Amino acid sequence: MAPPFTKHPKASEDNGRRNFLRMLVGATGAAAALQVLDALEAAPEQVAESLSQTVANIPQSVTDAGPNADVLIRMQADLARALKKQPGERRWVMVIDLRKCVGCHACTIACVAENKLPPGVVYRPVLEEEIGAYPNVARRFIPRPCMQCERPPCVPVCPVNATYTNEEGIVEVNYNQCIGCRACLTACPYGARTSDFGYTYAEETPSADGLIFGRDRAEAYERAASYEYGQPWSRPPGKHLSPMGNARKCHFCQHRLKQGMLPQCVTTCIGRATLFGDANDPDSVVAQLIKLPNVMRLKEELGTQPRVYYIV
Amino acid sequence: MLKKTLYALGAVAVLLGLYGFYSRLFIGERDVNYGSYVTWGLWVAMYLFFAGIATGAFMLATLDYLFNIRLFKGTGRYALWVALVTMPAALITIAFDLGHMERVWKVYLNPNFGAPMAQLVWGYTLFVLVIVVALILAMRRLDGLAMKLAMGIGLFMAIFLSGGVGALLGVNASRPGWHNGMLPAQFPIFSLTSGVAVMMIVIGWFTPESAIRSQRLRMLSIAMVVLILVKAYYLWTDFSLAIYSGVPDAVEGVNLILFGPYAWAFWGLQLLLGMLIPLFALLVPRVSRNAFLVGLIGVCVLIGFAVARSNIIFPALAIPELKGLIDAFHGPHLNFNYAPSLMEWSVTVGVVGLSTLAFLVGTDLVPLLKQTSEVTR
Repeated sequence: MAPPFTKHPKASEDNGRRNFLRMLVGATGAAAALQVLDALEAAPEQVAESLSQTVANIPQSVTDAGPNADVLIRMQADLARALKKQPGERRWVMVIDLRKCVGCHACTIACVAENKLPPGVVYRPVLEEEIGAYPNVARRFIPRPCMQCERPPCVPVCPVNATYTNEEGIVEVNYNQCIGCRACLTACPYGARTSDFGYTYAEETPSADGLIFGRDRAEAYERAASYEYGQPWSRPPGKHLSPMGNARKCHFCQHRLKQGMLPQCVTTCIGRATLFGDANDPDSVVAQLIKLPNVMRLKEELGTQPRVYYIV
Repeated sequence: MLKKTLYALGAVAVLLGLYGFYSRLFIGERDVNYGSYVTWGLWVAMYLFFAGIATGAFMLATLDYLFNIRLFKGTGRYALWVALVTMPAALITIAFDLGHMERVWKVYLNPNFGAPMAQLVWGYTLFVLVIVVALILAMRRLDGLAMKLAMGIGLFMAIFLSGGVGALLGVNASRPGWHNGMLPAQFPIFSLTSGVAVMMIVIGWFTPESAIRSQRLRMLSIAMVVLILVKAYYLWTDFSLAIYSGVPDAVEGVNLILFGPYAWAFWGLQLLLGMLIPLFALLVPRVSRNAFLVGLIGVCVLIGFAVARSNIIFPALAIPELKGLIDAFHGPHLNFNYAPSLMEWSVTVGVVGLSTLAFLVGTDLVPLLKQTSEVTR
């Protein structure tokens, strides 16, 4: 029976192949994630301390990066400068150079790994658009994180004040306050929020002693705490604890920013297409880019004033 | 015989609902088909449906207790009872839709009164209290100022709570199918129509035969004809505005309703069964005086309304906010194609059964509703 209200035909065989490849990428990401499991088994305090030391150990040559340095080094320097300011004086923005995006989905997978996102939850999908007809065909890739709108439609509809804009301009979700009504998902014009229905990738996979290795460790990794918003959020089996049942969204990797690290999608981008920094700092990479005439924001006509800019 | 049949149907419906209740309460939301893209599904549509009946029934109760319309003297208690049993049905379906229903108390202790949902939760709570107070006053035959006050406040709340549901949807500027000022204005009329339909069933099937019953049914039938015409006009304005505006998302939403895979539900159930058949049948005096047929037409109108509520919710959410979102990432509950799951149907059928049984038990056990003399006087 055909599903109701369908707008698009079912996925073609091409889509099936593409999905298979995506699953393969996901599986590779999971394998890599297993390698960091041991590191994460350390106490959170130790991890935080280690990260702080990492930031403190950034060489002077990096923090003094000049205009000709690699853009990642420059952004790291921008970040170090921004973190010295009061939170309210910073204005985090993301700039995505669509001319450089090759549609590798590395940012999507890195985000999933960083935030330990379960099946069905995604913060930064890459939209693919095919333009023209064969043989004059082109493809365009549009990474879509949360827009961190200055006037976010998702905030006023929340019945319990569980979502709000923090002093740095990032729209946060208080997981322990959220009742899971999905009003914010409905209100978001960008489809940037997803609901956590409590799955893990490993739970539906087969188990066979001596034949399949790593399944239990993979599930343990998925259920171990993630550190969104600087707090541990674990997913113990049989319990319905937040963020399960909650609305979830991109938060510009706040937990990384506080440790002096750029968002995961920025550091993972193979084409330096995703850029990040403090727009209030006139010397920052992003402040210089958002002045360009070929910059646009999604659905500007709605007046939501996104903090994510696209270079086209 | 009719009552026994309804008891049996209600009991079967509750049995069918046990699976859904168990699944939702002890397993969770995994077996639902709504999700992160079609964020609200059948349960939200049913919440609209039941809340519409409750507020509409209350509006009809004011004919008796507030406006003292002689023709409807004695029917108000039935209308109040309908409101009392359908309001919890609405709240159960919407509570089941929450990812953390155990936290619903937060809406009371830390509400954001700027959000329509918080306003509605508080409003429904007060509305149920008003219904209970009105029923107690009716039981004690206190038809004086206290009753008038309760019914006046209740009527005001019934209108605003109906409109509030329209606002809950209409404030979403990202959904062109919802975002128009007409929605909050239309919903009180939809509620009134639901109330007239349910009273056609109650008076037609549960009150003794008498001359006054025929008059009441005739009056309700005329009201229903007018309301169906108004509803048809609203349907025309909604669809024509969307189509003539040319806004792609709005046009696609209407196209999904009219020509999508479930267009048969619109043409067959919402339009034909819920509007056209009742409209033409009720214009025939012989039909509008036949109590059983009038009740049956009331059922048809309510079925049409259930489909209409679904057609307000699902198609507007089935349009991707951004082109390409549909294929950008795959996973459970990331789908723009929505059909209610078996578990969602089970809960819905169970809730319909519960409210039906609650109504029937009330007519048999609640002293106020057992007294028929006043109704037939």
